[in-house]
Amino acid sequence: MSASLALSLWLQSARLQQQTGAALGSTTAPDSNWTLDLLEWVRTSWLSTKLAGLAGMDQAPALPTWAAAAIGAGIAVGIVIGFVSVVAMFSIWLERRVAGRIQSRIGPNRVGPFGLLQSLADGVKLLLKEDIIPSGADRKLFVLAPALVMASALAMFAAVPMADGAGFTDINLGVLFIVGISALATIGVIMAGWSSNNKWALYGAMREAAQVVSYEVPLGISLLVPVIVGGTLELGAASRLQSGWGGSCWFLFQNPFVLPAFVLYFIAALAENKRAPFDLPESESELVAGFHTEYSGIRFSFFFLEEYAAMFLMSAVGTALFLGGWNFPGIDLLKGGWLIAAQLAVFVVKSMFLVLLMIWIRWTLPRMRVDQVMVMGYKYLTPLSLICVVGASVWEVWAAVPFHERPIWMQLFTPVLVFGVCAVLGAMLRKQAIESAAQPTTRSRIAPRAHAAAH
Amino acid sequence: MVNFADNTAPDSQAKAGGWWSDVWLGLWTTLVGMRITLKYFFKKPVTVQYPEERMPIPDRYRGIHYLEQEKCIYCFQCARACPVDCITMEAVRHGKELEWISFSVDYNRCMFCELCTYPCPKDCIHEGKEFALVTYDRKELIHDLLTYRGLSDEAKVRLAEAEKEKAAKEAAKAAKAAAAAKPAAAAKPASAPGAGDAAAPPAS
Ligand code: SF4
Ligand code: SF4
Repeated sequence: MSASLALSLWLQSARLQQQTGAALGSTTAPDSNWTLDLLEWVRTSWLSTKLAGLAGMDQAPALPTWAAAAIGAGIAVGIVIGFVSVVAMFSIWLERRVAGRIQSRIGPNRVGPFGLLQSLADGVKLLLKEDIIPSGADRKLFVLAPALVMASALAMFAAVPMADGAGFTDINLGVLFIVGISALATIGVIMAGWSSNNKWALYGAMREAAQVVSYEVPLGISLLVPVIVGGTLELGAASRLQSGWGGSCWFLFQNPFVLPAFVLYFIAALAENKRAPFDLPESESELVAGFHTEYSGIRFSFFFLEEYAAMFLMSAVGTALFLGGWNFPGIDLLKGGWLIAAQLAVFVVKSMFLVLLMIWIRWTLPRMRVDQVMVMGYKYLTPLSLICVVGASVWEVWAAVPFHERPIWMQLFTPVLVFGVCAVLGAMLRKQAIESAAQPTTRSRIAPRAHAAAH
Repeated sequence: MVNFADNTAPDSQAKAGGWWSDVWLGLWTTLVGMRITLKYFFKKPVTVQYPEERMPIPDRYRGIHYLEQEKCIYCFQCARACPVDCITMEAVRHGKELEWISFSVDYNRCMFCELCTYPCPKDCIHEGKEFALVTYDRKELIHDLLTYRGLSDEAKVRLAEAEKEKAAKEAAKAAKAAAAAKPAAAAKPASAPGAGDAAAPPAS
């Protein structure tokens, strides 16, 4: 946790530098730092002035810059931790409910309305559990690993723009920052696996390392496609670039190669987050619980929360770079605070939709084998993402002008293509559904007569 | 197109379609799978909320026993049929009436084989639909199947009636004997002791 605090502190000071004009080439809107504004508001408020009056001063003294930055960072970290926990708990609840319904069960529905407080109850239970450190473990690393994993998730949140101007920081190298920080979680996982002094944990950690090294490649390359289309690495600026057509001019509709790149990004993000069908690092059937076999109680809950927080984050990055971020048709009719709230809601809903998609895939596909995961990463995803990058670049170079200055047929080409692909796939699925319903199932194909004849 | 797929791998399908067809198949089969799971997502769950709702239990389910106490004659057939000797019973007989003391089944041992129900001449021991046997103590697993202990109200009434009848009979008999004894005694007093012996009721 202290690591996350330090990271956020650093981010805040980076923000301060940015404000003083030290940052180069940033396209961030020059808005003020709201945590510092809050502190200033408290300092000049009626109560503070009265208290200062009691102490014989006419106004409360201004805090030194470092103290203000530290307190501001503290507030920001508090908000991030709160937000991350709520989002992760909601995702856990969603996962369990969706899993239940897909398996024709009901899922948790006892604690709170629709079981919404189930995750909270589980969290309390985990907090109360005994905290066990195995006797052969490397104690320092064992304790540090969950904190590092959690810190990476928290630090990633800092760079995600949830609404126009309401993100914690809008770093001008946001995409790079996110890709880098997401790999930090892997170090935590490997640390956990190594320090547990357990062969299953170590296997899980090694698998995680192999998997992340392989899938960082297609992940990074497919993230390049929206970067090429938008021409910026800053997530907030990228979102702002997608606000045309009344909020529906998403990168997905700007270049025909963004759709395949999005699919590739999504698959690579599944692998990065160790989600099924790529959940080899914690595959229960072989490795007990993989890298967190030896963890219990609060430390385990960190890993658990991190998984869902990272899912949400990967979805948030996908939303910001592919699915138009906070933009939604008709959202620009709103003004002021309502606009910010609506943008926040749109962003969270879009990201939650992607989380739902991840959950849906988890309960659809079985786990892959280690060699299959590697084959998929190196032989399929990497070449495909390279094709996407080349294609997107060629398209952009050929079009030569910014999106809104292109001829109208070129602007309309991609949306028509995207919806056309969706419609064709939908029609094919429908046809397949009808055919498979008409076909007798395997069990009834083995006719009872044939069965009897065998005897 | 270069064939990236390693078709010699043991898991590769017999039909080697090449790299692009692999990509398409991967995507397509995932979509079909997701359609199937989506279909189940919107189906009604097959599970029920157990303590409040229960699945219908078949009529011939073998659960916890119940005893039709009125019919049971304490013949011991069920206890003798039980392969694990878990039925024990105790009673006192008052003429035709039974005074119930216990009829217990030890569910630590019972395996719900239903062998106890077949030999019952009165068809009065059955296995019911109740199955929840959880307790905090193994002693609580020894269930007493009796609904009441001691004599039933009817049996008490019947016993009292029988008692009364008997008393009335005896009174009548005694009166008769007395009536018969008087003239006989009057007629031949010498034979009175013998007649008195024959007519006198048993002491008990
Ligand atoms: S069900 Fe079987 S084991 Fe149980 S009491 Fe009857 S005969 Fe014995
Ligand atoms: S066999 Fe039937 S009648 Fe006989 S003791 Fe058992 S339950 Fe009673």
